[in-house]
Amino acid sequence: MSTPRVAVSIALSSLLSAALFVSISAFAANHTVVIDGVIFTPATLTVKTGDTVTWVNKDPFPHTATAQDNSFDSREIATNKRWKYTARNAGSFPYMCTLHPTMKGTLIVSR
Amino acid sequence: MGRSGLVVAGVFMLAASAVSAQTGGPTDPQIAAIVVAANQVDINAGKLAESKSGNKEVKAFAERMVTDHTGVNKQATALVTKLKVKPEENDTSKSLKSGGDDTLKRLKALKGAEFDKAYVDNEVTYHQTVLDAVDKTLIPNAKNEELKSLLVKVRPAFVAHLEHAKHLQASLAK
Repeated sequence: MSTPRVAVSIALSSLLSAALFVSISAFAANHTVVIDGVIFTPATLTVKTGDTVTWVNKDPFPHTATAQDNSFDSREIATNKRWKYTARNAGSFPYMCTLHPTMKGTLIVSR
Repeated sequence: MGRSGLVVAGVFMLAASAVSAQTGGPTDPQIAAIVVAANQVDINAGKLAESKSGNKEVKAFAERMVTDHTGVNKQATALVTKLKVKPEENDTSKSLKSGGDDTLKRLKALKGAEFDKAYVDNEVTYHQTVLDAVDKTLIPNAKNEELKSLLVKVRPAFVAHLEHAKHLQASLAK
C-alpha cells in the first residue's frame, strides 16, 4: 500500500475504535447503593458488566462494602462519603459491611 | 439479666414513670440529655474494653461501639445545637451516668476471660434496655420532628449492636 493509503487506514481504524469505545462507555450505567440505618438499599442490585456502582454512606458512622470473595472492598467509607466501583466480571457477589456483620447485600453482574 | 442490667432497666422504668407522673413524658431537652448520656456510657465502656481486653473480637466490637456511639452523639449534638435545644439533665440521664460509672468500676476489677464475658453480657443487656427506652419512651415523646427522625434513624444501629453483642456472647460461651 502507498503511504497516504496507510495513513488513511490508520486514521480510519483509530476513528472506529474511538467510536466503539465511546459507544460502549455511553451504554454503561451508574448505580447507587445507599447505606442508611445500617442497611444497604437496594440490598440486591443487578447491573451489567462495565456499569459502575457507587455506595453512599448516610449513617453517622463508617461502613464498608466488602465482597465475600474479596473481589471488591471499599475499605472504610466515612459519613457522607462515597465509594465507586466498576463491575468488570459477571457473577453474583454477596457482600457485607465488615464493621457491622448483620449488614449484607448482593451485587449481581450480568453481561 | 445481670445486676447492672436490672439496675439500668429499673432506672429507665422509675425515671420514666416519675417523669410521666409530672409531665406526661420527657421533654425534648430531657430526651437530648438522655440520648447523649446513653451514648457516652457505651463509649466509656468501649474504651475500657479496647484497652483491657486481650480478645480480638471483643476489641473489635468495643472499637465499633466507640466509633458508632461517638458518631451518633456528634449527630445528636449537631441537631440540638441547630434546633437551639439545650440538653436538660434529668433523673434518667443522671441515673444512666451513675449506672455507667458503677459498671466501669465493676469491670475494672476483672480481667481476662472474666472481663470479656462481663463486658459483653453487659453490652447485650444495655443495648436491649436502651432499645426499649427508645421505642417506649424517647420516640413516642419526642415533639420536634427532626429529633424524632434522628431517634428513628439511629435505632437500627442499636439493633445491629445488640445482634453483634449476642453473637459475641454466644461465641464466648463456647
